[in-house]
Amino acid sequence: MKQVACTVVENRELTKGNFLLTLRVPRQFSKPEPGQFVHLRLSTDGEPLLRRPYSLEGYFDRRGIRAVRIYYSVVGRGSRILSGHPKGRELDLIGPLGVGFKPTRKKTAILVAGGRGVAPLLFLSRRLTEKKRPYVFLFGARSKSELYGVREVKGGRLHLASDDGSVGYHGSVMDLLEREWREHAHTPETAEIFTCGPHGLLHAIADFARERGIRCQASLEGPMACAVGACRGCPIPLRPEHDQGRYPAMCVEGPVYDATVVDWERLP
Amino acid sequence: MTPATKPDLRVSIGTLELRNPILVASGIIGFGKEYEQLVDLERIGGIVTKTITLRPRAGNPPPRVVETTAGMLNSIGIENPGLPGYFEHKVAILRELPCARIVSVEGEDVGEFEELVRGVDRSGVADAIEVNISCPNVGPHGLRYSTDAGMAREVMTAIRPLTKLPLIAKLTPNVTRIAEIAVACADCGADAVSLVNTYVGMAIDSRNRKPILGTVLGGLSGPAIKPLALAKAWETVQAVDIPVVGMGGISKPADVLEFLLVGCIAVEIGTAMFADPGLPEACVTGISDYVRAMGEHSVEAVIGAMEVPAGRGPIRAGKARRDAARAARNKGGTR
Repeated sequence: MKQVACTVVENRELTKGNFLLTLRVPRQFSKPEPGQFVHLRLSTDGEPLLRRPYSLEGYFDRRGIRAVRIYYSVVGRGSRILSGHPKGRELDLIGPLGVGFKPTRKKTAILVAGGRGVAPLLFLSRRLTEKKRPYVFLFGARSKSELYGVREVKGGRLHLASDDGSVGYHGSVMDLLEREWREHAHTPETAEIFTCGPHGLLHAIADFARERGIRCQASLEGPMACAVGACRGCPIPLRPEHDQGRYPAMCVEGPVYDATVVDWERLP
Repeated sequence: MTPATKPDLRVSIGTLELRNPILVASGIIGFGKEYEQLVDLERIGGIVTKTITLRPRAGNPPPRVVETTAGMLNSIGIENPGLPGYFEHKVAILRELPCARIVSVEGEDVGEFEELVRGVDRSGVADAIEVNISCPNVGPHGLRYSTDAGMAREVMTAIRPLTKLPLIAKLTPNVTRIAEIAVACADCGADAVSLVNTYVGMAIDSRNRKPILGTVLGGLSGPAIKPLALAKAWETVQAVDIPVVGMGGISKPADVLEFLLVGCIAVEIGTAMFADPGLPEACVTGISDYVRAMGEHSVEAVIGAMEVPAGRGPIRAGKARRDAARAARNKGGTR
């Protein structure tokens, strides 16, 4: 983890309110793992006051020119300011931070993405493709226009779902997961789940996985202040049977965490 | 006058000697390790650790932080490993730190404060103890000790004989007259007071009509509180003869100067550091430049140097105040 100055290479609005940001990072920035995040200072005038954590959509090293990519939606003060940063703007970045996805050797990875939660899973899918590991990519969003990154999935099987039926299966990505599990006769010994998306969806996926004993890692989202484990501002609530008398910190023990032990009722 | 020489930024609180007046506040930097790749501790005066309690505390349920206008509300609830965890995991870390180590403690009653002070004293790695009698996030007891002069007196009287380490009582601004509490602490052997802890605040999400923090109420910090904190610091400086450590909303070197000018001997930097880990070091540079620009050799020349024009505002400010504060500090240094 390092504090570095990075430069906006591109900050493009792909669909209404959804942006793809490419940041050139210096050599001191170490190679990130899928699921890790960066803590971005969006302005130096105190508004917003705190940095914002952003999951990485990808990391690219082309002949020594290194860049990270962030897929984000404009949802509040921070992301609105971020969306206004033009090419060439220098930003202060701390990262890479947290722990990422840890795929098991020999298991089929089932990637389940909801909406902009697709970002770290695209990163993971590229890594799996590089390593020639088998994976299935299930991606659901509200409508066709929000299905960013479909063309980026190259090494695995891809199934789409949309709430409005504008593309793929008309319904939830949860249904796709159930169908995938049934039709391909996956077992906890042969497959595992990696997921990111709205916490409601993650809750449902975690229940599905826990009931069947499937290994399931989810990338969590939440407000953070320091992002380095010092302030204890981002606790992950655990189910009573897994309570350790302490809260893991989302920033250093997450953001990727065993979804089956998280107490989703208490996670905002 | 030799402006080329480096100004002397050293200050002292009892036996605690700081290379400069810049400290990092409790709850910001853990025990120093978490920020080791982001902050050069050799450049700053010291750190105040995360508060330790007698038993481990899991802290409050989420959400624990929310950004407000120019501020941050928190409801951490003093998540910490307790005194045994302090010995097991933190003492070794503190021993290696290249700056002053002020260990923050909070007890649920006088007996716990006593055990904590004995324990920290015995650990041998503390250069001073900050007595946190002002956390707003741990039920009624924390604030009880610093909203009631009698109870502050009780705690300080009990712990004073247990250690020779400088004791710094950390005060809450959630009182009508902070000076009364400060005087009580000073009377009972505190070497310094530090202020302010956070202001009690809350935020609601109007879309779902729910309070944002898990505990509804939290503590407000950040630039929003700086003018409030500065006023409390000034009120306190005028009331006590012991050093006052100022904090609350510092986000740039000029803010540090304001606290020094009202008479604080040192400052603690908090929330703004989350955005800018380099802020404490920038503040050291800022003070140094200011002292030099004044044509002075020592930061002592800045402390309490606010000049209130005749006829404006409260009476005891200016030179008389500065002289009194200096005399008090010299007295304090002999403990």
